[in-house]
Amino acid sequence: MAILEVEGVRKEYDGFTAVEGSSFAIERGEVFGVVGPNGAGKTTTLKMLAGLVEPTAGTAVVAGYTPGERAMQRTLGFLPEESPLYEEMTAVDYLEFFADLYDVPDAVAAERIESSLDRLELEHRERRIGNMSKGMKRKVAIARALINDPEVLIFDEPASGLDPLTTNHVIEFTEELSEEGKTVVFSAHNLFHVESVCDRVVIMNDGRIVARGSLDEIRDEHGGTEYHVYATVDGSDGLEDGHDGRVETDVDETGSVRHVVADMDAVDAIRETVEARDGRVTDIQTETPSLEDIFLEVAGGTEPDAERRRDDGDGTGRSESEPDGGDDETDSSESERVVDA
Amino acid sequence: MSGEPDPSSSHGEVDSSDGRPSRRAGDETESTQRSRAAELRDSCSRIVRVARWEISRTTGTVDRKTVFVLLAVAIAVGIVGFAAADDGIGLEDEIYVVGVDEENPYHDVATASDQFRTVPLEAVRIDDGGASGNVDVVIEDRRIGYVGENGVAAYDAFRDAVEAYNEALMAGEDDETAAYPVLVEIEYQDRSFDGDLEPPVESEADESDGSGVEDSEDSAEGEAPEETDGEDSASDEDTVDLEGDEDEPTDGDEPPLESDEDTDAGGDANVTVTGSPGDLEPPFPFQSLILAFLFVVPMNFVIQAYGSTIMDERIKRRGELLLVSPASSREIVAGKTLPYLAGLVGIVVAITLAIGGGFLSVAATVPIALLFLAATFAGAMFARSFKELTFVTVTISVVLTTYVFIPAIFTDVTPIALISPLTLVVMDLQGESVTLGAYLVSTIPVYLTAAVVFLLGLGTYREEDMFAQKPVPTKVIDAIAVRVHGKRSVPVLSIVFVPFVFVAQLLAIALLFAAPPLLTFTIIFFFAAAVEEVAKSVHVYAGFSRARFEPTLAAAIVLGTLSGAAFFLAEKGTQIVQLVGLHEFESAIAAFGPETMAGEVADGPVVFAGLLLAPLILHVVTAIISAVGATRGRTSYVVALGLATAVHALYNIGVILLVT
Repeated sequence: MAILEVEGVRKEYDGFTAVEGSSFAIERGEVFGVVGPNGAGKTTTLKMLAGLVEPTAGTAVVAGYTPGERAMQRTLGFLPEESPLYEEMTAVDYLEFFADLYDVPDAVAAERIESSLDRLELEHRERRIGNMSKGMKRKVAIARALINDPEVLIFDEPASGLDPLTTNHVIEFTEELSEEGKTVVFSAHNLFHVESVCDRVVIMNDGRIVARGSLDEIRDEHGGTEYHVYATVDGSDGLEDGHDGRVETDVDETGSVRHVVADMDAVDAIRETVEARDGRVTDIQTETPSLEDIFLEVAGGTEPDAERRRDDGDGTGRSESEPDGGDDETDSSESERVVDA
Repeated sequence: MSGEPDPSSSHGEVDSSDGRPSRRAGDETESTQRSRAAELRDSCSRIVRVARWEISRTTGTVDRKTVFVLLAVAIAVGIVGFAAADDGIGLEDEIYVVGVDEENPYHDVATASDQFRTVPLEAVRIDDGGASGNVDVVIEDRRIGYVGENGVAAYDAFRDAVEAYNEALMAGEDDETAAYPVLVEIEYQDRSFDGDLEPPVESEADESDGSGVEDSEDSAEGEAPEETDGEDSASDEDTVDLEGDEDEPTDGDEPPLESDEDTDAGGDANVTVTGSPGDLEPPFPFQSLILAFLFVVPMNFVIQAYGSTIMDERIKRRGELLLVSPASSREIVAGKTLPYLAGLVGIVVAITLAIGGGFLSVAATVPIALLFLAATFAGAMFARSFKELTFVTVTISVVLTTYVFIPAIFTDVTPIALISPLTLVVMDLQGESVTLGAYLVSTIPVYLTAAVVFLLGLGTYREEDMFAQKPVPTKVIDAIAVRVHGKRSVPVLSIVFVPFVFVAQLLAIALLFAAPPLLTFTIIFFFAAAVEEVAKSVHVYAGFSRARFEPTLAAAIVLGTLSGAAFFLAEKGTQIVQLVGLHEFESAIAAFGPETMAGEVADGPVVFAGLLLAPLILHVVTAIISAVGATRGRTSYVVALGLATAVHALYNIGVILLVT
């Protein structure tokens, strides 16, 4: 049952089309990722869902309401990418104000504020927001998005600019919200985060949705899992006969041949061919493309197996696998050795 | 969680069997059942919440420097107000000591003045041969001497006190002809628009009493005139009488010389009151004017804070979170504005009480405060930076202060003064009565303009415009385009812009009041025409430029016709100027068009109808010209607008020349 439906939504600004005919549906309790490069139309899409931006064409329905309706605003929690707070207020005052604005009774608001800030592990709650760290401010902003106990949460870059510890905390918190039954629309440049929390994603580029579905569906659609069969055999001619694959002969100094195929049947066929030539299969590995690989393929025009170092989307040029101030994240693509012959 | 019901919570909702939330249908039913009163109550509640938050948030940001500046301003305003209202605030109380016995007639003089403290002669001690002592002035019998460093100043002050004492005695005399035995008549003469002095008009006072009223030369005999009460702004002469009728002393129970019964601003009146030469004042209410200005001073400071808080929401994108809340943009803006409006009203009430004004002063000042806030709000919504906002607020301060203050200078001199609500304040402070027509002329355009400006700014209080960095003119067009939804909105906006036109034309009249006639007429003819043409076409241009309409010739003709016709009808409302006689003023005719004088010059129903309906054709034709230009972009629109303005101005000039 879709709690959020978007049908042919388009947004134009002064002749520039920011979003072109997006359509998707999100199930209740789902964490739905919206990814894409800068300028792809992600934020505009999320703002249209939040009722901040009026679509030029198309329709959107959130929890049964048209975005912008007052009743819809009560069911929605929105965390914008930039979430400037009123720095002269304390966190509690700030949250109480928004609770008031959402008609949350005082007692409920006090309990909800306490609960949210506890879960987000925010200390120094009576400190003025202006004196808080960036991570603390982000936690206050997340607590604000939850103040009305919304059914649908729209998180635009919730962990943007945060240290790894806070980032992990925010990601885990998002997962907890999902487990509690809340629907979360999640946008992030860090695709590892998206991959780790989202059930389904859409990839946007130039205002259009270029890929959609669960992560497995997208992988299947864009190459899927590859099997790398390493063999020691005289000559590689004819190895590809009878199955779809490619042969690379310069894998290592021993002259072993790497054969890349898409399914296990092909692996078995190659093994038989190699053995028939008195060769030996030395190793078989699986290569599963990460969301980033697919993203780069559909948005950047690069192949899934191409160079892993790439721009991370925010212009830093840093590799996703590189430590980011103590970041313990690793490359999100899976590489598993299934046979070590 | 507590068991308290939570209207904000989205949990506990039951889905319908068809898989869609059942809530929507239920809410719609509920919504239709809710009374408008309940919705209004909820809306007011949200406005109050935002207002309360704005107050608590703002008070948290006021630093010591700001507090100091505000305090200094308040003290300065207070001092000026009290000093002007009360002839001093007691700083000079008992600064001089007078040695005088109680039996001495000068003892009463000293005790009547706050400046002096008396001591009996036996307590006087003079040292150093008169160089110092415990008194400043010594009075023995009728001899007055002074002692010490302050002696000279004290002596002068005592002499003034004696004069004031005598004046007060004379003013309190029942037989005023005995108190003021010489009559002096002062005659003010208007300058004609050719620069000549108009011939003096025989005063009604002369006719009525027929007595041997002395002419102005008599003032040289040592007697002094007293100023009129200034009731009649259009009066050619004001008679001032020190004595009344020499030959026929008036009864002591009645005022010897009555002020004229005509208090209408546009009427002729002669006012004769008794007084002394020291009471002579300039022919405009100087003191009341200064006091009235006090109302405007705090507005210039408050709008700075107000503009900053609006700008803050934009520059730091903080307003985005409010926009996704259940509060509408109208409620947010109202809530953010309310504390500043309430603050201004509080200040106005305090000043009114301090200077002895009445309810009229408050009622006249509130629209000014609203206009200041509205202009600042729109300015803050259109400005791209705090630097630009500073320029905008300074412009607002200068223009609006000019608009309200300059006309008020001419209170009781010309009906043009009534275009400013501040004139009502001046009149109130002078104890003059104000007609309902005068109040409407002064305040309605200001109220309407403030409302329209707020609406324009509100049009851009949305995510797409609030955080966009566009030039101010582009934002203005965007703000107008937000209100353009279809052909029907074009005539509506033409009507909405009429208050703007009215205020702009009034301002032009006021500013050019004293300019040479030829220059005045030329500027006003073209300025008034340009303002009207802009008001008729700017929304049409906004509609074309923002793709609300297909830019075709047919669409331009239809929209131009709708706009011109609607403007023609709404413009009839500007004939409200006739309530106060403004239509008798030449530059008002130039500004508001020949139809203003239709009733006076038409010598038959056909001419009358022609004068009234010809503008309909004019407005439609010129609106079509501008609309056609608007279909082809900005440059074409500007050129077409200039052409329409020229046609409009030439029409006005031609008709006026024809009928006069």
